[in-house]
Amino acid sequence: MARRFVALLFLGLGITLIAFLLTNLVPGDPAAANLGQRAIEDPAAVASFRERYGLDKSLLEQYGVYVWRLAHGDLGESQQARLPVTTELGRFIPATAELALLSILIAVVVGVGLGILAAIRHNRLTDHVLRVVSLTGVSMPTFWLALVALYVFFFRLNWLPGTGRLDPQFSEPEQRTGFFTIDAMLQGEWATAADAARHLVLPSLVLALYNIGLLTRYTRTAVLDVVNNDYIRAARAKGIPERRVVLRHVLRAALPSVLTVIGLAFANVMTGAVLVENIFAWPGIGQYAYRSATTLDLPAIMGVSLFVAVVYIIVNFVVDVLYGVIDPRIRVA
Amino acid sequence: MLNSQAARRALLAVAGILAVIVVAAAAANSNNAAASGTLVVDKAFDLKTADPQRQFEVSGGIIAHVLYDTLLEFRGSDVTNPLPSLATGYKASNGAKTYTFTLRRDVRFSDGTPLTAKDVVFSFRRLINLKGNPSFLLANVTSISARGNYTVVLKSKVSNPALPAIVANGSLGIVNSKVVKANGGTDAVGADKTDKAETFLNRTSAGSGPYVLKSFNTTSRVELTTNPRYKGRRVPKFSNVVMRNIQAPAQLLSIQRGTNEISLDLSPDQAGPLFGNKNLNVQAVAGPNIWFLFANANPKISEITANKRFQNAIRYQLDYNGTVRLAGKGSRRAAGVVPSQFLGALPDSAAIKQDVTRAKAELAASGLKNPEVELEFPSDFTSSGLSFGVMAQKVQADLAKIGIKANLVGKPIATSLANYRAGTEQLGLWLWGPDYPDPNDYLVFLPGQLVGLRAGWAAGADPKLEALGRKAGSTQDPKVRGKLFQQIQVQLNQRGPFFPLFQPGQVVAASKNLTGVAFNATYQIDLATIGSK
Repeated sequence: MARRFVALLFLGLGITLIAFLLTNLVPGDPAAANLGQRAIEDPAAVASFRERYGLDKSLLEQYGVYVWRLAHGDLGESQQARLPVTTELGRFIPATAELALLSILIAVVVGVGLGILAAIRHNRLTDHVLRVVSLTGVSMPTFWLALVALYVFFFRLNWLPGTGRLDPQFSEPEQRTGFFTIDAMLQGEWATAADAARHLVLPSLVLALYNIGLLTRYTRTAVLDVVNNDYIRAARAKGIPERRVVLRHVLRAALPSVLTVIGLAFANVMTGAVLVENIFAWPGIGQYAYRSATTLDLPAIMGVSLFVAVVYIIVNFVVDVLYGVIDPRIRVA
Repeated sequence: MLNSQAARRALLAVAGILAVIVVAAAAANSNNAAASGTLVVDKAFDLKTADPQRQFEVSGGIIAHVLYDTLLEFRGSDVTNPLPSLATGYKASNGAKTYTFTLRRDVRFSDGTPLTAKDVVFSFRRLINLKGNPSFLLANVTSISARGNYTVVLKSKVSNPALPAIVANGSLGIVNSKVVKANGGTDAVGADKTDKAETFLNRTSAGSGPYVLKSFNTTSRVELTTNPRYKGRRVPKFSNVVMRNIQAPAQLLSIQRGTNEISLDLSPDQAGPLFGNKNLNVQAVAGPNIWFLFANANPKISEITANKRFQNAIRYQLDYNGTVRLAGKGSRRAAGVVPSQFLGALPDSAAIKQDVTRAKAELAASGLKNPEVELEFPSDFTSSGLSFGVMAQKVQADLAKIGIKANLVGKPIATSLANYRAGTEQLGLWLWGPDYPDPNDYLVFLPGQLVGLRAGWAAGADPKLEALGRKAGSTQDPKVRGKLFQQIQVQLNQRGPFFPLFQPGQVVAASKNLTGVAFNATYQIDLATIGSK
């Protein structure tokens, strides 16, 4: 475990170096991207900007300062917002996490369920229909789906709220977890919590659709791999109820490969929901990443890069641990 | 084979979960802004800060306009006549190098503190010393002083007839100096390093405007609530305002569903279906931005584009009416570089008209055979819903008709700006948005000035025009100044490397019950003057 931890540290450091080099290779001047047309022609304003963000130092010095601050938990200051990147991440990450968790929960329940159903009904009409449905799910562009969903369910049917995390008449709850639903409940603002929950539905369903398709396919394949094994036949022959055979024996054996996909799906949603967040005006990490990239906000870009790396590292680690829990034959070194 | 009863149960469970989620969400969904007396404004944010002396963005300007009063203000749609606001009036003297403003005595900040001259002095000095985006607005002002409690004197090193228009800018909103200082603010030299008040001002406003800041988030929403101590003309009708960060496609859906709602970013094309909607008032008026093409006058960059005959060929070949049609409803031809709403704007009759015969003759006289140039533009930038890429294609097609090959070179704005500012583009398609509503802001198009240099037009390239610019920029009488600026633009149109194209339409869509929704070229809309029938 200690060896793994050290490896992760080096991995994180390597990612900061790559992100730093790549952002500095991009043609474009952060001062020009952040200062106005007049201010950029003012040497005093440009000098002030460069000095504030350490851009007047050599690249090696800049990276050294960054790593030193990183070691102390300081990710620098966003050039756009002039706030600590840690503060900004602390605001944007929970917004995406709230969306991602619900989206993955829906995807897992529905996707795994449909995958089992498809396997149970192998080569029957249900199986064929579900395979088409899952293929459609993974083929449909998410941004298009978001626009269509907004148009149909908000604009046409008025079944669900539109963009943002809350309706205008509700104020954002005081941040404790950053999850509006939880924070509002903690403060006894039940109407706000209900409104926040309503606003979660449409974007999380949109995000879930792709993963439902993915999980349906993977679960179906994994279950089919397991279902014809001798021990399953033996379990059935012993008179064990079918539900128990499916849940305790089939699913448990099929779960490791499905778990990998769930982990990757979660990481993807946490780090890559830019378009959906943009369409639904969801102030999450995707929007933050987009804004940082287009304005050459170097500290923010580095912060987001590090966050993405950490998410994938943690998710992979958790999946590895869960492997061991599900299947004791697999041990985490 | 596994039991199909289990399969049916699984399917039912999945369907049930989905249904619960959707029904629970839908159960109480409604558009509720009307019930709470909240005005909702939908805007695609370019927001960075609520600190008035740092903000210089469109979204920030809308907010600053209602949080902080300025010495003078523009009202309704007018941007030619700055009117009293905090100041009861002003006097220009010494050839418009000195301006003396007399303040109202009844103004209170939101905490009840009286607003006096020292707050004005502090705010203006802070603006300069923060060395931020808007600091240039007072670059020519050499002295800012208080004379007693209710008189402020601004002295400039050169004649500054644009100053009344400048002080109406939201970045010159007056802050409560005592409160800002108590929260880390300073107006001293070095404020760019030592001022720490921005974080405070992003939580709590310290102004005298009709609203105060309730919450501020640069990516989701800004909430305002009425200032109970406001004393002024603009008594707000809505007790709360929520400005939401929403992209234009979602704004199009939201405005048709909402009540007490305004949408500010629809393009003329997007707003098409809304004209005639009985639940909405939709205005499409010309905005203040000027889209223009330029040909680099520096022969070191391109001997082709620096050729005067070649420039004239472009000038008379462009399909100006076509570009206006492409820009959509509300757009209008830019007769010159000064927008139609400003003092000194050229009448439409003075605009260059397409003359293909003349264009061909100019190209033939240039001596250039099959000229080929690069047309650069920001590929990821849209303004008023218009894509630079689409306009660049239009220009390319127009020029191709007389044998000029313009190769499109689109780059993300973060990188294309570098070439533009460096003056290395052969042909460039850009826009200029006004920093303040005065023709002096457009002296930048002259040789040796900011935009002139970007078009390779060095100082000394046109001494006559430059002299006229100096004269116009320092003339105090507005009528005379206006005429001088018209002369400048006529000459620019005749022999400059710039080809003004159009002012894009600005669409403001509002719920039918809202009153007082008027687009203003400086602050977009005045949230405080909007009411409900």
